[in-house]
Parts: sequence; structure tokens; C-alpha cells
Amino acid sequence: MIPDLFTQLPPVRDDLETDTSEAQDETVEACLPFLAGQDDLFEYNEHGVPRINREKHIKFLHNSLGRLPGGFVAADASRPWFLYWSLSALTMLGEDVSHYREAVAETARGMQNDTGGFGGGGRQLSHMATTYAVVLALALVGGEEAFEVIDRKAMWKWLCSLKQPDGGFQVCMGGEEDIRGAYCAAVIISLLNLPLGLTPESPAWTGDSSSNLFTGLARYVRRCQTFEGGISGQPDAEAHGAYAFCALGCLALLDNPRRIIPRYLNVPRLISWLSSRQYAPEGGFSGRTNKLVDGCYSHWVGGCFPLIEACLSPAASASAGQVDNSARAGLPPVSESLFSKEGLIRYILCCCQDQTKRGGLRDKPGRLSDAYHSCYVLSGLSSAQNQWVLADSDDDKSATGTAADPAWTVLPPLEEDVQIFDKRDRIRPIHPVYAIPDENQRAIRSYFLEKDSEGGFL
Amino acid sequence: MPPKGKAAPKPKGSEANKPSSTSTSAPPPPASTTSTPSSVPSTSPSTVSERSQQRFDESRPNEAAREKSGLSSLAPAEQVAWISSQFARSSAARARLGTKAQRELWRHVNEASLPVRAPKTKPSPGSWGKDRAGQHIGGYTPARFDDRAAKRITLTALEIASRAFKDTRERARKGLLDPLSKEPVVLAENEIDQEKNRRRQMAALRRELYGQTMGQFEQDPEWDDVVPIPQDEPEMALAAIAYPASYAEAISYLRAVMQKKEYSPRCLRLTEHIISMNPAHYTVWLYRASNIFAMKLLIPDEIEWLNEVALEHLKNYQIWHHRHLLVDNYYPSIADDADKVSQFAASERAFLAAILAHDTKNYHVWSYRSYLVGKLGTWGADELAAVEAMITDDVRNNSAWSHRFFLVFSNPAHSTPGTAATDPDPAVPRDIVDRELQYAMVKTYLAPQNQSPWNYLKGVLAKGGRRLASVEAFAAEFVAGLGEGEEVEQVRSTHALDLLAEIYAEKREKEKADLALRRLAEKWDRIRVGYWEWRRKCLDVEG
Repeated sequence: MIPDLFTQLPPVRDDLETDTSEAQDETVEACLPFLAGQDDLFEYNEHGVPRINREKHIKFLHNSLGRLPGGFVAADASRPWFLYWSLSALTMLGEDVSHYREAVAETARGMQNDTGGFGGGGRQLSHMATTYAVVLALALVGGEEAFEVIDRKAMWKWLCSLKQPDGGFQVCMGGEEDIRGAYCAAVIISLLNLPLGLTPESPAWTGDSSSNLFTGLARYVRRCQTFEGGISGQPDAEAHGAYAFCALGCLALLDNPRRIIPRYLNVPRLISWLSSRQYAPEGGFSGRTNKLVDGCYSHWVGGCFPLIEACLSPAASASAGQVDNSARAGLPPVSESLFSKEGLIRYILCCCQDQTKRGGLRDKPGRLSDAYHSCYVLSGLSSAQNQWVLADSDDDKSATGTAADPAWTVLPPLEEDVQIFDKRDRIRPIHPVYAIPDENQRAIRSYFLEKDSEGGFL
Repeated sequence: MPPKGKAAPKPKGSEANKPSSTSTSAPPPPASTTSTPSSVPSTSPSTVSERSQQRFDESRPNEAAREKSGLSSLAPAEQVAWISSQFARSSAARARLGTKAQRELWRHVNEASLPVRAPKTKPSPGSWGKDRAGQHIGGYTPARFDDRAAKRITLTALEIASRAFKDTRERARKGLLDPLSKEPVVLAENEIDQEKNRRRQMAALRRELYGQTMGQFEQDPEWDDVVPIPQDEPEMALAAIAYPASYAEAISYLRAVMQKKEYSPRCLRLTEHIISMNPAHYTVWLYRASNIFAMKLLIPDEIEWLNEVALEHLKNYQIWHHRHLLVDNYYPSIADDADKVSQFAASERAFLAAILAHDTKNYHVWSYRSYLVGKLGTWGADELAAVEAMITDDVRNNSAWSHRFFLVFSNPAHSTPGTAATDPDPAVPRDIVDRELQYAMVKTYLAPQNQSPWNYLKGVLAKGGRRLASVEAFAAEFVAGLGEGEEVEQVRSTHALDLLAEIYAEKREKEKADLALRRLAEKWDRIRVGYWEWRRKCLDVEG
């Protein structure tokens, strides 16, 4: 009932012991009882997979939005993340979070700076990551009251001030430049329908209109691909799972993924590296070569596959076929999946659920659940359970911020030969780039698009 | 002038009275030492509330009996005494009496030794208020109450002295002259220390008496000129943190000094204090850097401080951006002095070794390290040796392998700037490519299933523009009897088999490549079956 792939050590193992192998062996040892259906607190189905404990996770996530005890002081600069993580996870679990609208709007208002963007809390510097989290949280609760919190003009100016001559973005004034900045900026610009033109105050301003917010961004992303094929946080560093998603997500917002991903990245090396992140018997993903599996990479690495698979998929129209084929560099489409969905789903449901009354999802057995892992473990589960396709949309020259609708559609659930999880445990699909439900990204984008068509941005 | 009458003491808390049964604190008794029979307390009071009640009763002889049964129930002498008391206490009532009647009244009062002064309102047990523990103060024993009263007096005295200190400081600041000595007012160093000591006492008393906390900064005379800006969040704010008081206070001062863009030693100390409580507060780090640059402080001092902080907070990454900013600022000042640069590089390397010993794969440390190499131009043997030591320590440390790749192939002395990491670079000398291939292969033998040197090997081949087939013999060492049956087939490294599949594809040996991929999918690396199947499809496209 449980394939031995998930209950036994891998067939090739080295004798040499180092810190890395010891940590790896300990992790496998910690996971095996859960994977083998031996944990007393779970009820396993005939495939040796437990149900998802919706009720407890939902309770845990609502609590994460409430008043946090003093020990959370270390999170004082990342409170917007708690909003996004919790609301996103609740949404994926099927909860209606619109009743948080007023509270999210009020909280966000207190974190917004007159000079544009949102900080980690009141009177903190605006930061790309916290701004991204606030914007997504507002999109998740939806509605005019939430959208209108955002001062888009100030936001645009602020983004211009972070844009660097080399194409990338700083994460805040005086802060570091990295690929998170690139991804977050692309998401913010695209969701809020911001203009691409630069202000003269921008470090990337060239004195004319020859460069804009997206100029050189894809080249910056390319500089982050390493010799291993994965993506690093900034040029010259180690390939890391979280940054792989940022890279692909960013590119997918700049242009049609079929065209832009092969143009800027070495796709075979990237796929090789991404695929190497999945381990057996754990089934989950690690973030780097020779590091341990961690539930959060279910999203950061797992979320790369829909984008890669879309980039490999043939465009439907014949006219686009030629362009498409050259862009894909002669790589074949993927027939089923580039990674083991079964492995990932097993890891998530068996190893990442806190089965005590605490609830929530976690990195791995023995670790405490938290809002961060709850969000990204569920995002990963969602992308493993739902199939997205990129419709043929070569006509629109993309999503260059003009809010052209990226033609992602989710397929209805397939009746698989063997489905190891209970039908009721299917998680709500989320958009492969924005990582929120499709209808939420549509609502916020069309709200601003309409608004601008009526009155113009300025 | 009314004659002196025996007065009941006022039940005022600030008057540290002893129990009044013997009326020692009253004005001298006018007539005799005899006391009014009805006013002798039956017992000494156990609480201040009870004491007040007794005093009230003492000051109003016969009142209790009258209240109970009416004036007519009293004996005639008692009735006279009661009425006289009423008149004695009220000048308004006396005004209605004629001179003679008044004289009569005072005579009577004196003879009967009636109390003239008395508490106006009837004491109620709740009127004392509650202490910080929620206990009624009226329920205190007199001794305890006196103790509290003494502390309140002490606090008041301290507050007055503190105001005087602030006043002196203000005069000193304005350069005013002392009115008596005609000398300029100066604030001595010891006066500040005294004031600090005074505030500590005030804080302790306020906490004890009223449960009020007086924060560290409120206690510090140095911060008196800053009006803290407290957090003003709506009630309904989500994920609000119940901040410890010390943190909330420090942040409220941070907001205030940031708003006025103050850069000063005290601001630097404030940032240190906040960082010790929450090193993930990126705003405070950037503000700290601004302070250092604005005051032109010595960067090496700051780096020394930062070393300790980094060791305390291993997982924190704001520390590393701060260090990055410091080096950006510092480097131009030493750039022309090769000795200074190499000295600095050596001290940084030593510190990085120390921190990586705690956390060998810390992403932010390694990212900083690659930045540092580029900044200082330390592409040489020392850095290579340092990273080699880490690979020797744990051959699976992929961060170290990545750093080595950067060190070798991004060295501007023999690489083409701007070349993608996965692309060939003709500027890399052959012997370096050979050396690196050799290094990777030697390390592979230690643990053939370790993916790091395999990725490195492929990376070097790509950089050198070498054919994969140039390492076919090496890769083949780890695979035997492929496809020749379960008994015979041996794979000591799935990465070798993967590379062989690529080599066969490169050589257009499609069937051999397909077999390698199939065996990976079927047996040797089953979790990646989807990937191996896709690779098989690639063979068709390539073919």
C-alpha cells in the first residue's frame, strides 16, 4: 500500500560520514515513521496517507492573525507577512477571509508611508517584501475598501527610487539588491497596474524614455543563474530554491513564459537542478544541493514546475508554432510531471502537519508549525494537486505591466489512476505566478485597470 | 475669638498620625485632661479606615445614638452637648445666635470639652482608593499606611529635586547666570549621576505605589528632550504583538529620533539596545548605518562590535547587509594602501572562518563573502585555501563548492565579465580548467554519491567549453554492468549515471543514453522518474 520508495533508504549511499550526511540521516530517521503510516495520532487511508486536518490548521491560522504574545517581538518588522501567510493559507483551505477586509485595510494603512510602499509596521521604512505581502493580503480580502488603501502614485515613485541601473531592484532605500526585489517589484507593478516610466529621481533614470521599470530586469535575473543551474539570491552566490521561484515568477510577468524563460535561462540545467531538489524516501524538496528537505520548498521549488512545464508546453496556434519551437530550444513538452507529485503530497500530509492540538504546518517532523510554513506548504500542496496550463496568448506581447491578462487556466481535477489523497483534501488552486487564487488577482488588477481607463493614473 | 476647643485630628493621610485615642497630636486641650466619655475608642483600630470611623465618632459625641433613635432619646445633658457641638462647628449657625447665646455656647463647649473641629464627611471605606494590587488602601494597617505615606512624600521630594535638576540644566544650556553667585550656571557631571540615581528611586517608588512603570529612557536624563512617539495602531490591527514594555519604549524613542533625523552617540546606543532585542528590525540597522556615516565613526570599531552581534545572532541576515554597507564605506579609505587592504582582508577572513564554524552553510555569510572578494579583490591563494579547508572538513558543503566556483571562474584576471555561469568562457586558461576538473574528481572519490563535486565538474566542463565525453572514463568508474541484470548492475553514483546519459546523448549514442535514463527511473533514482522520462523524450528531439 505504501511504495517502498517512501519507506526505505535510497539504493545508493556513501560510507563517508560528514556533518551533512549526519544531518541527512537524522532527517530521514525522523520522517520514516510518519511516511510508513506509523504515527499514532494520524489515521491513514489505504495508501498510507493521512487526511488534512483542516479544522486545526484553520484555527491555528486565525490565531496567527490575532494578538501575538511578546515572544513575537522578533517578527516586529515582518507583521505584513503574517497577514499574507495566514490569509493565503486560510483561503487555500477554503475559508472566506473577506470578513477581515476592514481589519486588513486598517492594519495596512498604519504601515503605509507617505513616500510610498509599506513597512514592516508603523513608521518603519518601506520594504519590497513587506509591500508585496501587504498588497497580496489586500488582494486576498478584496474589495474597494481594501484596494483604495494603496497610494499607487507614491508607490510608483518609491519603486522608481529602488530601480537600479543594472536592472534589478533594491529591497528598500539603502537596502540590498536581490532577486526578491525583482520578483516583488514585478508582482506589485503588475497587480496595481502601475506605469512603467521612470521618475527623474530614479537611479536608473537615463534622461529620456529609453529605460523603464522593467528594463534590464530579465538580464538581472539571468545573472543569478549559477553553474549548478539553479538561481541565487544575487549574482555570484549559491543556487537556492526560494530564489528559483522568484526568478521564474519575475520572468513570467515580464513576457510569455514560453518565450522569456528559455531566452534568459539555461532551461535544461535549471530543470536538472530543480529535479535534484526532491529526495527519497522523504518525498519533499530541499532548498539547495546537500541540504535537508523543508516543507516550505513545496512552494519555492514545487511552484517552479508549473512555470517550467508551461514554458515547455507547445503553443496551440500553428502560426505561433515556429516562434514557439525555437524559443523552447528544441525541448520536448512534459507529459505528466517533472517531479513526483505523489512524493511531495506524501511528505506534506505525513510529515508537515502538526498533528497535536496546536495544528498548523511545519518544516519537518520535530519542528514547530508556523504561519510561514503553513502558507508555503499548502501552496505547494495546491500546485501538486491542481494542473495549470498556459493558453496560447502569443498575441499579447505580454504582461509588460499593461495588465494584459496572462492566460493561465486551471484544469478541472483529473481522475488519476491512483489518487493517494482523499477527494475532500483537495486544496484550492492558486495562480502559479501570484500565488493567490485566480479570481483575487483578477479582481485587483481589473479594479485598477478600470479606474485608470476612467481617469488615468495621475 | 472662639476659645480653643478640643479638636479631633484630621484624618488626612499625609499626616502621619499615631492612633488618636490619647489625642496627642491635637492642639493643647483647653480645659483639662479629661476626655469626653463617649469618645474613648473601645479598641485600637486595625485599619486606617476603622481609625477614621473612630475619629469621626469621637468628634461627634452622641451622634451615633441620635442617628439611631433620634434627639429626644438622649439624656438632656447629652442633648445640650450635641446641640452645642453642632453650633460650635458651624459659623453659619452661630451667626444666628446673639452675643450672649454665643458666650453661653463657648462656655459650655469648654466645660464639656466638646470637639470643635471634626471631619466634615462621614468616612467611607472605599474613599481611600486602591493600590496597584487592587487592594483597598482603607484596609491597610495604620503602620502600613504610614509607610506608604512616607514613600509618597519621598517620591514628591524626588520629583521636586528632579524638576530642579531640569531647571538647572535648562539654565546651563541657555548660559544664564546664577542669581546669587552671579556665576554662569553649570551642570556638574555628578549632578547627572545623582539625577540618574534619583530617577531610579522614582521609578522604584512609582512602580511600588502606583504600578506605573518608568522606562529605561524615561529614567535617563539624557533623553529628557525627546518626546517619544508611541505606537498608534487601531484597536482592530491584525497580528499585533504584545510588546514587552522595554521594547515598546525603545521603539517609541527610535521613532522620535528618526523623525528629527538625529545622528548622535545616544542614537547609536539606542540602535544597539533595540538590535539586542530584535536584530531583524531592518529599519533600525539602516538608521544605525546612517549614524555611523554621519558621525564619521571608525568603521573598524563598528566591525568589531558587529562581530560579537553576529556570533550572538547566527541566523540573522540584516547584520550582513550592514557589514556590506560598512565595507562599501570603508574600502575607499584604504584602497590605495595594499597592506591595509590585505590586513583587512585577513581579519575578515578570520572572522568568517569563526562564524562559518558555527553554521557552515549560512547563506548570507557566503553571499557576503563573495561580495567581499569582489570588493577587495582577494581572488588569490589565501581565499582559495580557506574555502578548500571547508571542503576538506565536509566535502558535501555545497556553499563552499559554490564559492570556489565563483572564486575561480569570476576572477577578472582570467575570465570574461558578464559571462553567464552556465556558458563557456574562452578567457579561462586551460590549466585552470584542468586543475579544477582534477580537484572535483579527487573529491568525488571520497563520496561518489555526493552531488556537489558532480555539479562542479559539469560546471567546469561548461566553462572550459569541454565536451562532456572528456570525462566519460571517470564517470564510467562508478557504474558497472548497466542493463546486464540485477545481479551484475552496480551503480555507486546516480550522478555518474546521469552524466553518462548526457555523454551518450552528446555522442548520439541514443540507446545507451536511453538505457541509463531508464535505469535511473526504474531503480537508481526513482523519485525523479518524471524528470528521467522527460530526459528520454529529449533524446528524440536531440536525435
